[in-house]
Amino acid sequence: MQSATTGPLSAELMRRPVKRRPSKLERRRILQDWAFISPQLILFVGLTIVPLFIAIPILFTDMSMFNDPQVNPVGFRNFTALFTDRSVQRDYMPALSKTLAFVALNYTTVYIFGLSLALLMYEVGFRGGFFTVVYLPLMLSGLATGYTAVMLFARESGTVNLLLLELNLIKKAFDIYSPAGTMFILPLLVGWRYAGYNMAIFLSGLLGIPEETIEAAIVDGASYWQRLWKVYFPQMMPAFIIATISCLIGSFAVFDELVAMGALYYNPEAKLLSILFFMYGFQVKRLAQGMTLALQTGIPLIAVGMLLQRLQRRLQY
Amino acid sequence: MAISNSLQKTVFTPARQKLLVRVVAFVVMAIYTILTVFPFYALFVRSFVSTKVSTQLWLWIPPGEELHMGQEVGNLAVFYQLDLRDFKEAMGIPQTEFLMARTTLKEVSEEYNVPEEKIKDYFKDYYLFNGWITLLKKTDFFGSLGRSLLITVASLIGITVLSIFTGYGLAGLRRRYQMAVYNLYLLQMVIPAMLILLPQYQMIQWLVNIFPGYAVQGSFARRALQLLAIILINIKGTAMSTMIYTSAISAIPRDLEDSAYIDGASPLQYIRHILFPLLKVPIISLIVIQLPAVYNQFLEPYVYLDPANSTLLPLMQTVAGQFSTNYQVIYACVFASVIPLVIVYIIFRRFFVEGVMAGAIKG
Repeated sequence: MQSATTGPLSAELMRRPVKRRPSKLERRRILQDWAFISPQLILFVGLTIVPLFIAIPILFTDMSMFNDPQVNPVGFRNFTALFTDRSVQRDYMPALSKTLAFVALNYTTVYIFGLSLALLMYEVGFRGGFFTVVYLPLMLSGLATGYTAVMLFARESGTVNLLLLELNLIKKAFDIYSPAGTMFILPLLVGWRYAGYNMAIFLSGLLGIPEETIEAAIVDGASYWQRLWKVYFPQMMPAFIIATISCLIGSFAVFDELVAMGALYYNPEAKLLSILFFMYGFQVKRLAQGMTLALQTGIPLIAVGMLLQRLQRRLQY
Repeated sequence: MAISNSLQKTVFTPARQKLLVRVVAFVVMAIYTILTVFPFYALFVRSFVSTKVSTQLWLWIPPGEELHMGQEVGNLAVFYQLDLRDFKEAMGIPQTEFLMARTTLKEVSEEYNVPEEKIKDYFKDYYLFNGWITLLKKTDFFGSLGRSLLITVASLIGITVLSIFTGYGLAGLRRRYQMAVYNLYLLQMVIPAMLILLPQYQMIQWLVNIFPGYAVQGSFARRALQLLAIILINIKGTAMSTMIYTSAISAIPRDLEDSAYIDGASPLQYIRHILFPLLKVPIISLIVIQLPAVYNQFLEPYVYLDPANSTLLPLMQTVAGQFSTNYQVIYACVFASVIPLVIVYIIFRRFFVEGVMAGAIKG
């Protein structure tokens, strides 16, 4: 539970490598280092770096599927298609807006579930039992989460729907396959699934606050609300940034849940960007175009992620 | 404002306020616990609720229904995935006979001289256990579970050992090649998964096709190589594993290593007997984060494994596609594939809590 290993050390790690001629002992050490690095490095290079270099030339062709017999170079057409090609825009724009809506709502659930549960737990003291319960949904797979969402919120047979109708709490059943249904129910379930993870991030941020500052605020007569905004939140900024980055990356990568909700076949409402890229590669035979779109979507995301990470590093020291 | 403040001071004494906070907190915790457990419970109940009665609310396993002899064969086939070949064989009806969809069970009994009791017997467990029977008898559930467990265990051991090796080789990051390798691993974070999915597939295909047995459908070599491919993808190392182990091992004093070597330990012995016990916290926190991810892996097994060789999640997808109108079997499958991990989680919950909290601090 101590962060001694990261803090000042990573600053030391970032120091420029020392340059000098190695002695015999050092040469042995270097060989030994390589012997230990290489097993995983071979796998990593073979399955991540080499594929990346195979992928780059494909982006400039019209490759339509995995074993396309005829591949022609097309220059930058795949890259400009997003701005010029009507058919691509027709697919991409709705998927983008749905994805952004999902990201926004999913980000809200990070606070609704994660932050409020963490604050609650902080006030009454850390409780392992409750933590176990909150973390439990993370054991569900994405696919299972999707099917569970359907089971709970299908219009005619959804358990929650039937329960709420029975209790007269709602007049009309939710429909997970309707636009609004997919838009709100999916983030709800995903937020529920990641509640434990987000709670852990916020809770560790809270536990890192020096108690004297909180006690001083209480002695000075600060209300809970004031303490929250003036003492807790400013001091747990790194936790906010970590939660933001992981939510951002996680929401763009959401895939399994959508498959379970029929996104690949009958449910156009669940067609987010990840589904679009997959369909371009495997179903509609526009592989190179799909890969290019994935890259184009990824770049701004990476930029935001890096910016946030830099911000976090600055806040830590 | 001043009035409300003084009011607050008289009514809410600190002790009382604290009590109030606690009561509210426990109520919220109780409600959240119910909300969290309810979907799991609902999955369990729904695995017994047949499609026909699924539009009614069931909060407990519904009562078994007496088989109505007026049921049409077609309905049974659609809603319950009744296997007509199987049915005909059990009833002693020749396979050449064609049962019309509108034929009722009563008509079957009269036409083919099958006693009603025999039909009722055949359908005895039909309403309640149809899902579980279908799942266990008609799909390769236990095989898939076994393969899932095999992949999970092998991947977690593999990635832990290999990542510790990497971290040991990179520890300190003093040399130029160490920095280069480290940055290469960091690159993994920024590569979109969809971009390398296909080239990765090509690389794997190239690799497995080196082995002659792979081309033979259903051979042991093919099945083993497919599972191996998934394991290789899982143990190839990520930015996170490299960052955590490198920084954890860098934090361990060099003196320890030097003294181990002076005592005549080999590097492997040093890793096994000194590093490994010291790395308990990062190992546990990485394993508890990776365990659900590996066990619940969908895309790679879906792409690489033959249907006859699948793991749990592709099986779930197949079941949902094949028995799309039989809710019982879908939810039975979802529930049954979640439970093994939940059991592991409950047994080792202490490690999960510690590991996740330690991991969250490191980010």
